[in-house]
Amino acid sequence: MTIQDKTMITININGNEIKLEKPVTVLEAARSAGIKIPTLCYHEQLEKYGGCRLCLVEVEKIPRLQTACTLMVTDGMVVRTETPQIADVRRGILEFLLINHPLDCPYCDKAGECELQDLVEKYGPAKGRYKEKKRKAPESLEDPVIVRNMERCIMCTRCVRMCEGVQGASAIAVIDRGGHSHVEPFSGGKYDCEYCGNCVSVCPVGAIMSRLHRHSYRPWQVKEKTETICPYCGVGCTVVAQVRDDSIKRVIPKIGSPVNNGMLCSRGRFGYEFVGSSERLTSPMIKKNGVLEQATWEEAISLTAKRLGEIKNKYGGSSIAGIASPRCTNEDNYVFQKFMRIALGTNNIDSAARTGYAGTQTFIENIFGQGATANIIAGLSNSDSVLVIGGDPTTINPILGLQIRACSRKGGNILAIGHIKGLEKFNPLTVSPRFYTETVLLEGLVSALKNKKGLSGSIPVLEAKIKDINTSAKEVENRCGIAEKDFIRFTDTLSESLTPAIVLGKDIVQSSGGSYKLMLISAINYLMNARIYLLCERANEQGLLDMGCAPDLLPGYRPLAFAEFRKRYENAWKSPISEKPGLSIFEMVDSAKSNALKAMYIMGENPVFNLPNSKAVTAALKNVDFIVVQDIFLTETGKLADVVFPALSWAEKDGTFTNMERRIQRLRKAVNREGMEDWRIISEVSKNMGVKLNYSGAEEIFQEISRISPLHRDLTYEEIEKGDAIYPYKGEPLRGVMEDIQMHKGSSVNPDGKLYLRLERPLFHSGTLSTKAPALVKIYPEAVASISPSIGEALSLKSGDMVKVSTRTGSLELPVNIDNKLDNLSVMLTNNFENKGAFSLMEYTIDPVTKAPVIDANEVKLEKSVRLDSEVRA
Amino acid sequence: MTRKGLLNEFKDMEKVLLKNIENPNSADINEYKKAGGYSSLPKALERQPKEIIEEVKKAGLRGRGGAGFPVAMKWTFASADPKFPKYLLCNADEGEPGTFKDRPILEKNPHLLIEGMAISGYALGAEYGYIYLRGEYPEAKNILNRAIKQANDNGFLGDNILGKGIKFHLAVHQGAGAYICGEETALIESLEGDKGQPRIKPPFPVNVGVFAKPTVVNNVETLSNIPYIIEIGGDAYSKIGTTDCPGPKLYCVSGHVEKPGVYELPMGTILRDIIYTHCGGIKGGKKLKAVIPGGATTPVLPPDKIDCPMDFVNMPKHGSMLGSGAVIVMDESVCLVKVCYRILKFLEHESCGKCTPCREGTGWLRNILGRVESGEGIEGDIDLMLSVSGNMMGKTFCPLGDGAASVVQNFIKHFRPEFEEHIKNAKCRFK
Ligand SMILES: Cc1cc2nc3c(=O)[nH]c(=O)nc-3n(C[C@H](O)[C@H](O)[C@H](O)COP(=O)(O)O)c2cc1C
Ligand code: SF4
Ligand code: SF4
Ligand code: SF4
Ligand code: SF4
Ligand code: FES
Repeated sequence: MTIQDKTMITININGNEIKLEKPVTVLEAARSAGIKIPTLCYHEQLEKYGGCRLCLVEVEKIPRLQTACTLMVTDGMVVRTETPQIADVRRGILEFLLINHPLDCPYCDKAGECELQDLVEKYGPAKGRYKEKKRKAPESLEDPVIVRNMERCIMCTRCVRMCEGVQGASAIAVIDRGGHSHVEPFSGGKYDCEYCGNCVSVCPVGAIMSRLHRHSYRPWQVKEKTETICPYCGVGCTVVAQVRDDSIKRVIPKIGSPVNNGMLCSRGRFGYEFVGSSERLTSPMIKKNGVLEQATWEEAISLTAKRLGEIKNKYGGSSIAGIASPRCTNEDNYVFQKFMRIALGTNNIDSAARTGYAGTQTFIENIFGQGATANIIAGLSNSDSVLVIGGDPTTINPILGLQIRACSRKGGNILAIGHIKGLEKFNPLTVSPRFYTETVLLEGLVSALKNKKGLSGSIPVLEAKIKDINTSAKEVENRCGIAEKDFIRFTDTLSESLTPAIVLGKDIVQSSGGSYKLMLISAINYLMNARIYLLCERANEQGLLDMGCAPDLLPGYRPLAFAEFRKRYENAWKSPISEKPGLSIFEMVDSAKSNALKAMYIMGENPVFNLPNSKAVTAALKNVDFIVVQDIFLTETGKLADVVFPALSWAEKDGTFTNMERRIQRLRKAVNREGMEDWRIISEVSKNMGVKLNYSGAEEIFQEISRISPLHRDLTYEEIEKGDAIYPYKGEPLRGVMEDIQMHKGSSVNPDGKLYLRLERPLFHSGTLSTKAPALVKIYPEAVASISPSIGEALSLKSGDMVKVSTRTGSLELPVNIDNKLDNLSVMLTNNFENKGAFSLMEYTIDPVTKAPVIDANEVKLEKSVRLDSEVRA
Repeated sequence: MTRKGLLNEFKDMEKVLLKNIENPNSADINEYKKAGGYSSLPKALERQPKEIIEEVKKAGLRGRGGAGFPVAMKWTFASADPKFPKYLLCNADEGEPGTFKDRPILEKNPHLLIEGMAISGYALGAEYGYIYLRGEYPEAKNILNRAIKQANDNGFLGDNILGKGIKFHLAVHQGAGAYICGEETALIESLEGDKGQPRIKPPFPVNVGVFAKPTVVNNVETLSNIPYIIEIGGDAYSKIGTTDCPGPKLYCVSGHVEKPGVYELPMGTILRDIIYTHCGGIKGGKKLKAVIPGGATTPVLPPDKIDCPMDFVNMPKHGSMLGSGAVIVMDESVCLVKVCYRILKFLEHESCGKCTPCREGTGWLRNILGRVESGEGIEGDIDLMLSVSGNMMGKTFCPLGDGAASVVQNFIKHFRPEFEEHIKNAKCRFK
């Protein structure tokens, strides 16, 4: 017998010999051999339960029937799944499940995809023998998003096991016992949970369902099911859009998909309704006498081409700037930067990735090499420790957050700098430095790790910096207010870790001394030999960088500065490329302010809202002679434009997105809508300017990318669809040698008795897009100013009261939300709701190294005010 | 509940478990010591843990919680598991209707249990113990807590027991009144702060028990036998009672007997003798109608089937089970349909709801029984009940559901005419 034989197990099911490599349950063994055993409480994503008893089978040498879903196979086991006795058992169990079931299939939205209905059809009893009254439980419509029909519940607890064991929200439970058992949120009728809806996806019957598509279709009516990618964040979850009559009825996850394996967050699942919003732009518009008026495509395109041409001729290409979009596809972004570079002759192209993601990535990859931040999300759960800095992963990138929770469940250590709300149930080891002393803490960590781990010599430039850092635990205690023993416990846990990961949010790069802190974090990463993940707020933030939508990068993440790369693209595009690096998005604003910038082409971005200091940005943009905006809604920026093009949304076009782990994935058209993709509008404008950018479709664009971009070399849609497009594909990442690390220590702030405005990055919203999705608005309806209970007390404010929030740049009237997890220095506000964005109250300075805006020193004043009745939402 | 029987007047056996309980201060440590208590613990600590398990094995002690599982076997599994720490849980949930045998130990002889647990903990290598106490025993809680404090103060519990560097801490955890929490895995869930529902086995608690650590769950009476086994040795102990089930046994008798109460008798005492000899026969000289021999969920027996030795091995041969040793005696005035209904009503209420057949079946059976009892039964109800209970039997997650099915099946098996009469006459003649 060879060693391999020894580990093989044989099981006999209904006379079929099945060989198995590792111990599995009888159910898994049967399924692997194509033998069907009916189940209800079993679900492949969930912990075993064994409650429904539908999967009972006969096992030789065991007198009692056994549940196939829980019984582990042992070598030589003989199982029978289809005997007269088993048929009786199934009939009996189904009869039990039906006696209190309302049998309201004709009315129930689940009918047609209900596991109970299907099983009863196949195995169920012929006629009812139950003569008594059934249990009653009225339908609960208390929640705006999830409807409960507990009469239909079969108590499989799949929802509860999902919520607790996989989602990690622990928001629902089985209340009561025996026949009175029912599932209820701890919060009562309304859910008040993470609204991921993952409980809804695992419910086998119609007991908990989404209200979004209530009574609007039957499962068998949605013939079109399109597998595509969630439009919201950089995780890039696979979603299946179910469509009827060109309207998305439902978005569901897919088990087995690489990034999210059957899970979604609230945005991905419930945020799709913006596609069908009546506020969508339908026709091009041209500004006449200060008013945007409907125009034909021809008019708008030729006007745009004409004006851009004039401005280019008069002031040169450098007087024109383009803003690319992290919501648009790689193909859109590629064509856009090509248009800017060859039709307009400028490298003035950038995006909102400049607010943090781009600068952070460049900084870290300059030290560790290109691709250092391209790490597989699913791998996080296998780390033995995860250090979280600068943002709450469970709200910014929720599905990545689940991996951190899973890591904790598997016994890994979660370490956090500052309070991370979404991980608080996972027992994180937290150190919270006093305000503006994060740098000292990071220095302390570097010093401690240096002493424990020593230096390996592999990155001398970084080691040179590390050598200079010597901050003792005592110093950390004195300045950060972290007890020495807590700090030591923290560093001990970190240094003992063998497979650590760091998850880094944008708060770091957007704070004073951001580039210096990034150096310190890089040093920690280096000393711990960790993998680093950068939280990524927009779906294609990475892709647009890879496509060359940056003033200093060409497609394939190739520096413009290298003549060799410019040559390559010049040859391919048959056009010269300016060697002068372009303006960053903030430099564009400055240039506009000084009247140097004459025209802007903005694709799928809303800089007036999405850049800090909206007032200044608006004023600057008003200086620009000619602005073109392509978007799906008329945004604040669109209102300033001279020409507005209606674009097709994520659901209406083909293409690819590149997620934060740099996996390239296919976006597929799910819904037909009249109009043009962003790239097509640009190519029409370009054609009118005499520069041909002709493509038959997204795939042809990608073929061009894979022909010229060294990173995307030879990559095809076919490979992408197979899931093979994982960094670095078949291409070559660039490896350069860095001479020195540039960094900026920033200025220190003394927060004596002052309040600061901080950005809340909420789970339920993403940009302004989500505010056009009614379900998400129902969950999180309006901008609120969140403050700690003691700030509230000092101003005699309670939740719901109105407060005037003022900074140097302006003020907003907002309802108050008292959050007992907040500190006493911060006022938290989101940047999602029109006219109520935090950025409208924030000023910024620019970190000279990362070029990111520093927004952590916006002093704010609060005054109690009265909410007018007319302002109270119905 | 009458306490009469607590003062056992039959001297055919030396009292082990109920020793000294006539003494009004029997729960006090000094009284316990005076009566020879805490003499086994020092002896045990002189020996190797393995030797103690060996002694218990020789004694042939079986668990007294209902299932009669060999104690030494359970202990061996747990002590062989390398995970640490280990836990010893005392099951004092005593929830089976008719059962009140653990109560005199808990209230009158708590140090016997504590001494037993300290020895058992040492044998297992467990450093922590919990007494999971029935929610409805508030007095016992105070008594146990006082006794635990005394034991700690006297060095019988704590970090350094009797100066030998051995650690065993003990705490009382009170349940919230669910019968299912007497089932050992539901007990563990409850102790961990979760809802009391049984867990999938395997893994068994001996490997993955409370807080995912090796755990032994034993009944109060089981653990209270340990000091005596150490005192007289396993061999001598094994001579008491029957060969398959040695030792003394507490039988708690309720219902229509002259002298209900708790009786400590050798394992295997004949059921008829318990009723007629020890308990003075049927109250008021009435006729015996039925006996439930081991707690409400054990199969009921008619009067001609009570000549059976009350132990774990013999009772199944006679169509019932020893269960908890709770003998419920019913005379001719009792309506057995109503009894059956009341038991099912209890079990429906106590069903945890985890598995389909029990959650739905207990309620359905209670429904049918209810209508039969009240004279609204219909033709075919008896067969329906047999069919429904058949669909439950052997298919439930834990023994509670099977128990419910078995109650109905056995009442119908032995007393079918009484059910038929209810349906035929459309009324209950006992009303
Ligand atoms: C529904 C149910 C209720 C139970 N209730 C009790 C109880 O109240 N007390 C008890 O000791 N054992 C009870 N048991 C038995 C326990 O599961 C377990 O077998 C026992 O505590 C083991 O201890 P032993 O080996 O000392 O008997 C119950 C079992 C079931 C299935
Ligand atoms: S929506 Fe998500 S968080 Fe809310 S109850 Fe369901 S699984 Fe839990
Ligand atoms: S609500 Fe659905 S998933 Fe939850 S227990 Fe009931 S049937 Fe199962
Ligand atoms: S928002 Fe991000 S995490 Fe949520 S479903 Fe979409 S891609 Fe996944
Ligand atoms: S048989 Fe099932 S429902 Fe009944 S108590 Fe046991 S686990 Fe709970
Ligand atoms: S599927 Fe196995 S018990 Fe429910």
